[in-house]
Amino acid sequence: MTALDTEVLIVGSGAGGATTAAVLAEAGRTVTVLEEGPALEAGAVAPFSLDELARAYRHRGSSAALGSPPVAYAEGCCVGGSTEVNSGLWHRLPAYLADRWRRELHLDEFTPAVLDHYADLVEGWLAVSPVPGPLPPSSTVLERGAQALGWRHEEFPRVFRYDDRGRGTKQTMSRTLLPRAVAAGATLRDRARVQRLVRAGHRVGGALVEVTDGDGHCETLRIRAEHVVVCGGAIQTPALLQRSGLRRGIGGGLKVHPTVKVVARVPERLDHDDVPMERITEFAPSIAIGGSASRRGHVGLALADAGVDPTPALADWEHRFVYYASIRSDAGGRVQALPGLAAPLVTYRLTDADLSRLARGLVHLGEALFAAGATELHASATGAPVAHSVADLGAWWDAVDRRRANLMTVHLTSSVRMGELGGGGVDSFGAVRGVDNLRVSDASVLPEAPGVNPQAAIMTIAARNAHQLLGVLR
Amino acid sequence: MTTSSIVITGAGGWLGRNLVEAVAPERTQVRLLVQSADEAAVLGLAGRSVETVVGDVRHPDALDALFAGVEAGATVVHAAGVIHPERAVRELFDVNVGGTSLVLDRARRVGIGRFVHVSSNSPFGVNPHPAHTFDEASPYDPYLAYGASKREAEELVLGAAQRGDVDAVVVRPPWFYGPHQPARQTQWLRAVRRGRFPLVGDGTNRRSMVFTGNLVQGILCAESAGRTGAAYWIADAEPHAMRDVLATVRAAFVAEGLPVSGGQPRLPRLAGVVAEGLDRALQRAGRYVQPLHVLGELKETIACDISTARREIGYEPAIDLLGGMRASIRWCLERGQEL
Repeated sequence: MTALDTEVLIVGSGAGGATTAAVLAEAGRTVTVLEEGPALEAGAVAPFSLDELARAYRHRGSSAALGSPPVAYAEGCCVGGSTEVNSGLWHRLPAYLADRWRRELHLDEFTPAVLDHYADLVEGWLAVSPVPGPLPPSSTVLERGAQALGWRHEEFPRVFRYDDRGRGTKQTMSRTLLPRAVAAGATLRDRARVQRLVRAGHRVGGALVEVTDGDGHCETLRIRAEHVVVCGGAIQTPALLQRSGLRRGIGGGLKVHPTVKVVARVPERLDHDDVPMERITEFAPSIAIGGSASRRGHVGLALADAGVDPTPALADWEHRFVYYASIRSDAGGRVQALPGLAAPLVTYRLTDADLSRLARGLVHLGEALFAAGATELHASATGAPVAHSVADLGAWWDAVDRRRANLMTVHLTSSVRMGELGGGGVDSFGAVRGVDNLRVSDASVLPEAPGVNPQAAIMTIAARNAHQLLGVLR
Repeated sequence: MTTSSIVITGAGGWLGRNLVEAVAPERTQVRLLVQSADEAAVLGLAGRSVETVVGDVRHPDALDALFAGVEAGATVVHAAGVIHPERAVRELFDVNVGGTSLVLDRARRVGIGRFVHVSSNSPFGVNPHPAHTFDEASPYDPYLAYGASKREAEELVLGAAQRGDVDAVVVRPPWFYGPHQPARQTQWLRAVRRGRFPLVGDGTNRRSMVFTGNLVQGILCAESAGRTGAAYWIADAEPHAMRDVLATVRAAFVAEGLPVSGGQPRLPRLAGVVAEGLDRALQRAGRYVQPLHVLGELKETIACDISTARREIGYEPAIDLLGGMRASIRWCLERGQEL
């Protein structure tokens, strides 16, 4: 078995891992980043395409948390993690949540001043900006509906950099912090799956890693490290810790933003290459309303979720777009690594209050879309009546039930949870309890789902934790 | 100040009918959301100012009709709610939270004057110790799904007030009694008269109750004098020990010339504890069994203090428990109901 040495081993190259790598490498530490997925050439995969589903996602973008109803979810699995495939919407951690976490979980150094400092730092690296010029039509539909009803709405800024001609490029980790880390001396290995961490008493000595080369040939490496930071996201991180024999506070408490969708037909032809940056925030934080990827295939998939033959509606698919309502959920889920299986068992049990909130979100979304001039709405519940006017929306309350609702999520958090109190698996800075040199820095440490896109919160906390680790290393 | 125009949801319900009777003679526009044509016909008799809309509080088109042509500055009393779901626990959230969200949104769009939201004691659960009394500073600690649904609804209303969307006030009534009572309350009176309704435990646990007439007065005080964004406990003057509640009901029967029979059956407190445990387990599975729920709650102290409502909005309960129970009994007798 080949053995390698590094000072800090980072498992995962998404929002948490790339941030950690950049901070540590630029401070002169010796860093190795492992990524299970492949490195994709810049621009090789069209955003929101089926090709992207196949190459950049785990399980081709279709995993599911089991429950009644199940919740489908998608995880990025490539260099850069989910930052390569998400919409890039940027929302700092809401202040009320940060305040609650600090008070209830006794989080150290979690004041607004600290969080703002690191958020500023991260935003300086990425470029966060609104769209230059007018919003695309898929966004103005939401804007128009919200304005007609007098609802709060806003354009969310995104991690996009625009050239002189207004063409935007999403500032993914493979375009930003990973190159910075590598330029500062970090080693990045793609197609390297950590089987388990090697433990010795109260420390980890490193990791056993299965590496696949360009010809598909596998080799097991042993990497020795003085410190390990696990950044695999809310599903893979607890699964790896459990495979390594760490279970206390690990895997329970999983949170997602359960999401229902509507395919809307509107009078105008819509843009389909991008995700709307406009959001309806009237019902925040419990319900968020926005738009999803809506290429022809996505529209077809969403129509299938409505339980109808998609063929007739696809005939004028350029007038159709997928919008969503997502909720903050009372429920919790669990990630359990199963012996002998690569994928963990993920369960999530929605409460009746959650299902009702989803139905409410769907009805409010329908109101906004009709107010914007939509003429036909298909909701993502099998057999839900197709709505042609506001009078049809009332039937959706009963259509969103445990048997018929087709739910998905793209935000998974809270399966490890930081805090000095509260039964989570790691302390205020992500240090795993009972192990001296092992940390977690990704979505799994968030004590709750934030109700907004979590990337900004993940990167801010990862930057803060990485600086705290620097203090330990010195 | 009261307005000439008022919108009432849940108008066909127990509280709603009492409220309509009180306001219909004085207002020029009384717009009511009711559940059926039968309810509409009965309520239409309350006065010439009454306009009814038949519909479901969860349905956007029903609420559009309810608020169509309502003048800016009107009062809205949101009294629609489910306490005992007929089918499943989910109804509590759909109606109590979803309905509130939709009504609140239309109230804001119309530019209504004041929104009076009828909440409950259940967002606060049961008193932490027997001598404790809830006041407006008590923290949320919801009792089962109903309590959770009413808490979420309160938070929507108070959030809207805080954001300046709607001028809203919350009233929190406990267990109520009075005219227009549903069949379950008539059954209860009958059981108490016949000595078939059990005391759970020693019966010293206290319960606040509110006569519907007092509650109507409290709502009107909140309409005219409540502070935006505030919540008020509205109950009879004092809580009573549970055994005194049953004794007073029996005294009310005697005072109305109806003899009582039987003694006072008792159940050990443990029976209530077991019932609550079963109720919790069933509710987690989405199911609701009313007798279990009622039995589980009977052992508890649920008492509140109305001094804030007295001081801030001039609420003064005019009817006491004996007088209110006598009025309830007379109401049943006038309708030929067997007690």
